[in-house]
Amino acid sequence: MYRYDEFDAEFVRQRTAQFRDQVGRRLSGELTEDEFKPLRLRNGVYLQLHAYMLRIAIPYGTLSSRQMRKLAHIARTYDRGTGHFTTRQNLQFNWPRLSDIPDILGELAEVEMHAIQTSGNCIRNVTADHFAGAAADEVADPRPYAEIIRQWSSLHPEFNWLPRKFKVGVTGSEHDRAAIKTHDIGLHLKRLADGRLGFAVWVGGGQGRSPFLAELIRDDLPEADLLSYLEAILRVYNLHGRRDNIYKARIKILVHDLGAEAFAAQVEEEWRRIRDGVLKLPQAEIDRIRAYFAPPAYDERPVPAPPRAAGRAFDRWITRNTHAHKQAGHAIVTISLKPIGGIPGDASAAQMDAVADLAERYSLDEVRVTHEQNLVLPHVRSGDLWQVYRGLEAIGLAEGNAGLVTDIIACPGLDYCALANARSIPIAQRISERLSPRQDQIGDLKIKISGCINACGHHHVGHIGILGVEKRGEEHYQLLLGGSGAEDAALADIAGPGFGPEGIVDAVEKVVTTYLELRSNPQEPFLATYRRLGATPFKDALYAAA
Amino acid sequence: MSKRAPSIAVLTGNRLHDGLVVFLGGDGAWVEDIAGAVVARTPEEASALQAQGARDSALNRVVEPYLAEVREIAGRLLPVRQRERVRIDGPSILVDVPGYVSPSPRAPNGVRPLASDLRASLNPGGEGSDPVPVPVEAA
Repeated sequence: MYRYDEFDAEFVRQRTAQFRDQVGRRLSGELTEDEFKPLRLRNGVYLQLHAYMLRIAIPYGTLSSRQMRKLAHIARTYDRGTGHFTTRQNLQFNWPRLSDIPDILGELAEVEMHAIQTSGNCIRNVTADHFAGAAADEVADPRPYAEIIRQWSSLHPEFNWLPRKFKVGVTGSEHDRAAIKTHDIGLHLKRLADGRLGFAVWVGGGQGRSPFLAELIRDDLPEADLLSYLEAILRVYNLHGRRDNIYKARIKILVHDLGAEAFAAQVEEEWRRIRDGVLKLPQAEIDRIRAYFAPPAYDERPVPAPPRAAGRAFDRWITRNTHAHKQAGHAIVTISLKPIGGIPGDASAAQMDAVADLAERYSLDEVRVTHEQNLVLPHVRSGDLWQVYRGLEAIGLAEGNAGLVTDIIACPGLDYCALANARSIPIAQRISERLSPRQDQIGDLKIKISGCINACGHHHVGHIGILGVEKRGEEHYQLLLGGSGAEDAALADIAGPGFGPEGIVDAVEKVVTTYLELRSNPQEPFLATYRRLGATPFKDALYAAA
Repeated sequence: MSKRAPSIAVLTGNRLHDGLVVFLGGDGAWVEDIAGAVVARTPEEASALQAQGARDSALNRVVEPYLAEVREIAGRLLPVRQRERVRIDGPSILVDVPGYVSPSPRAPNGVRPLASDLRASLNPGGEGSDPVPVPVEAA
């Protein structure tokens, strides 16, 4: 893992001290809310429905056991015993007092963490494939590049006040687990034609009010040119992105309005000017950062096979929640934060502590956070899987449902978020309870729920998406079908008229039942059936009685 | 003729130091329970509440106060918008999930309905007013 150098540590320490002073001046009345709001947002502090919310950055979703224990400590000491892992691989606390937040940031700095640039119109926390550095299908670990981007983008003087927020995602595999085509910039690390590492660069993806999938603007960017090319993209956006209308300010609108080809031409022109300047990445620097992410010291002693006769639940968990590792004798483990009927992405302090213990003992001290609101133990010896399973069972996190219909993404929704129009969490809980008895029969199916048009719950790319809206003061839900955030990315289609809070769960069940009746064989997943047959049979089932 | 109770308003905001939901009370204090809120029944009274909110905001007693539409039903003040009902009740998560500890001290034990009981009382004709803008910040 990356470790702070003296510059990083001093930078975070100074920033924490600065914010402590700002909070003190706000509480004393020296600063008004109008003066304070942009300052607190730059430090991840929102004022939500019930209380302040603190959003903490987890760069490329990687945590050590020590860092996870610190998050548990903060949850227990300053919050109400729970943290919420988000679709940006961040963690949110929903109940901190403003007066406690400087102390929380001080505690985070002790473990090389902070909340800087988790809000505001700047380059946000860089996300990455949550299996990075471990996946068997990976060309190379994308995290060194995510770290290089983090260092370049932190308080970048030219890009600290962009037209709107800016999100970068990186993957090093053909199978896109980082949803790069829904990012402002999506980077696909791969081997170029000459055999060297480089990037395919996708620009202008995003969800929200106007969803777009990213466009490919360069397929062969050498790794040494990564930062100069990103700088060129950001410069074109900063110059031409709209600042007069918040709903049209994201880069996706600019790329759409100009056209990808014209946008790319402007980027290339700017890039030609700067590509051989100070942003050229020296190989020594790439190697220095890469060394932080060197493969860990795997235990290569022969291991006994896991006890396959340990029970059906363990077998399900092995089938669904373990994944191929690049190192023989090891597996990647997904810890589902989606117990049946549970709150997607929530973990109690006790659960966080227990996961930290498991990571320390069985996963070479590493934990990952996924954009699907689960956790990952990336480096588990095959012979330790039973012990890991038993450890997760003890804390209620052993559900073998990764990728199944109960593994639902849901934003905080109207239960917490000041922007939301409708609740997401209770809908997710009810769908989970309703469909859990059939989840193995249903197979791969991703449901994604957002409580407002901002789409933090990724409803546009759900196989089944749900969007909460407000209709005459009450909650209402639109149903969307056929989206995907993976390498076969697609935006979902609105099925038709929406449903009330009670009706939306029935509607989802109707879609699922229709799929089970129509699939060509039990191995044909929902998305394949939908793409083969189109929306009509599902709409017929949903609205036949209307 | 509408069967709905006429809408009135209370002034609400968040407390500065901890962000908790508060309402302007009859004695000028900001209280956590909507039952203690002073009610504006005329446009003039609503304006007076807003003026008081602006003063208290300037004095850092409350953050971003705004009027929330309510109705009086069976002697209780019930917000018209679902958003405001959630602000009063706290998160409406299903708190009977095994092993889950509710983060909200105000959430009751057991499964809370999606306010369908209240909705029938508040909105029998399926009609209502359009949402009133409230202060929010971009995600």
